[in-house]
Amino acid sequence: MKRFNTVFYNVAAVIVGLVISACLLLFMDVNPIEVCGKTLGKILTDRYNLGEIFVKATPLIFTSLAFAFTYKANLFNIGAQGQFTMGAVAAVSISLALQDIVPTPILLILALLGSFIAGAVIGALIGLAKAKFQANEFLVSMMSTYVISAFVDYLLRTSLQETKAEYLQTDAIAKSAYLPNIISGTRVHLGLILAILVAVGVSVLLNKTSLGFRIRAVGKNRFAAELAGIPSSRIYVISFLIAGGLAGLAGFTEINGVQHMLLREFNSSIGSFGIGIAILANGNPIGCIFASILFGFLNVMGTTMGRLPGLSIPASIIELIEGIVMTCVIASYAVRIYVDNKREKQRIRKAGV
Amino acid sequence: MIVNLLSRTIMMSTPLLLGSLAEVYAERTGMMICAIEGIFLIGAWGGFVGAYISGSLVIGLLTAVILGMLMALLYAFVTVTLRQQQVVTGTALNILAVGVCAFFQRVLFGVPTTPLQIDALPKIAIPLLSKIPVIGEIFFHQNILTYLAYVLIPISMFVLFKTSLGLTIRSTGENPVAVDVAGINVNRVRFLTVLVAGGIGGLAGAFYTVGYLGMFTTSIIGGRGWIAFAICFLGNWTPKGAVLGTLAFGLADAISIYFRTGSSVVPTELIIALPYILTIVLTIFRSNFNVPAKLGIPYSKEN
Repeated sequence: MKRFNTVFYNVAAVIVGLVISACLLLFMDVNPIEVCGKTLGKILTDRYNLGEIFVKATPLIFTSLAFAFTYKANLFNIGAQGQFTMGAVAAVSISLALQDIVPTPILLILALLGSFIAGAVIGALIGLAKAKFQANEFLVSMMSTYVISAFVDYLLRTSLQETKAEYLQTDAIAKSAYLPNIISGTRVHLGLILAILVAVGVSVLLNKTSLGFRIRAVGKNRFAAELAGIPSSRIYVISFLIAGGLAGLAGFTEINGVQHMLLREFNSSIGSFGIGIAILANGNPIGCIFASILFGFLNVMGTTMGRLPGLSIPASIIELIEGIVMTCVIASYAVRIYVDNKREKQRIRKAGV
Repeated sequence: MIVNLLSRTIMMSTPLLLGSLAEVYAERTGMMICAIEGIFLIGAWGGFVGAYISGSLVIGLLTAVILGMLMALLYAFVTVTLRQQQVVTGTALNILAVGVCAFFQRVLFGVPTTPLQIDALPKIAIPLLSKIPVIGEIFFHQNILTYLAYVLIPISMFVLFKTSLGLTIRSTGENPVAVDVAGINVNRVRFLTVLVAGGIGGLAGAFYTVGYLGMFTTSIIGGRGWIAFAICFLGNWTPKGAVLGTLAFGLADAISIYFRTGSSVVPTELIIALPYILTIVLTIFRSNFNVPAKLGIPYSKEN
């Protein structure tokens, strides 16, 4: 019942958010219903566009997990963007260095491990700052994103730059380093399966293992957890390490599955969208899968709308929609608490009579 | 060159100072304004649009204040009235701000063929004071927003620590129950403070468009709202600390702009990253904080 309630309120909030966003289209002097209908038609009738929803959702599953994971320990990992970027650097470097030497499956596994480790190192450093120096993890992770972005710009200008040295990007990786496509006629790749498996794994880790229990215990009340012999500082490092690794994996699937090279400002908003998705899913790893697919859908809707001829709707409308939807979802939590409280009071009153 | 650099430092520290003062007020009541990046952005956009359409920089600044307050209103409604998580709400509103600015920029201006430009705020030389060698050039040859920031420092120190209003603000963050018992509405204090902070934040954002660059892009703020947020922490929630922190960051910012235009042995990227690295280092090595006791915790009479 409780779970059903959560889903009900979330879906209602998303619908309200979408309706508000659609009304904003009136500012563009277009008929929202007509535009949305046309856009939906374009998405639903086109196999490629349908696939794009899942392509866009794949990295979002990872970055939302990266936020949701530390959220369970009552920590805020705002730096998934940076961890993702480091993962992408690792994936592209490993792929470029080893693509002619090792066979595809081993190469992919190495790139996967490399990107996990790259993200995890960044995450662990943030966790360490929190554990050792009581630094505000929120600020440190936020700032790390900007530092990493500058660092990657430096790499792209120097050691990682393409052989032609014309643009600030790496060489494209060879076909042998691509993640295999799983649905023909689309760009959906093996990364989607990986993302879903990882989300299920994270759910199991958090809810069914003793490490997960310890993380949740520290999140609920770190002093109580410490009295019970759970060292909160170690939990901080571990949860940030895993969260960083999860975000790093998004770098792997984006490089080897979609983009096949690293560019400047690569996917520069998946970090903040990941946070939004994790909020939408209320930190539930399985919920993250569905919320990511919703955001993937919004993303494709934004770009499709932007391409409708003669309307000049900016593709940035997606940020507008997502911001409104997220605000509505947060507000819906308050509505839910209000309604639940009222019901509870009524119940108590009835029971009293 | 040193004079030029220092004058730049003062200039670039203006929005950070305004932003961190806004945070100091709000956080003293227990409210982190995590939407500060979004408030900066919408202020920058508001300032630009207001000035571009009306042709008057004053109207631009007013628009910035109003939009900043509107954003703060939404933030305060969700976090104070509805009592939701501040960090989470802030993240949502920061994304929303990007969307709103980009979308309405397109609504108002379509796809312009040439970049839209306005004249930046003029530098005002204060009579007499600007004639003092070196110091005059550095401190008294700035635009109106910088002078406003100067004025706000002593005012904030006075208001926060010497008036009953300041006592109310500080107590609301330290011990809201006591404030409530004294017959003051805790949530009203928080709500209004956030609104005022939003207005100041909007003005801070407007500095980047109206006061300095004369144009708008959605990446114009680039995390400086967060730096203002960080300075408030590092400055131990005092106006004095905010000034010191701001000058350090203003210097880093000025150096990075200076070196980006000149050639240098140090990679430009390192210099661009300097303010952010500085924040991380300071956050890690600054240990004895005097955090407002109820920072980030919603207040409800029932518990």
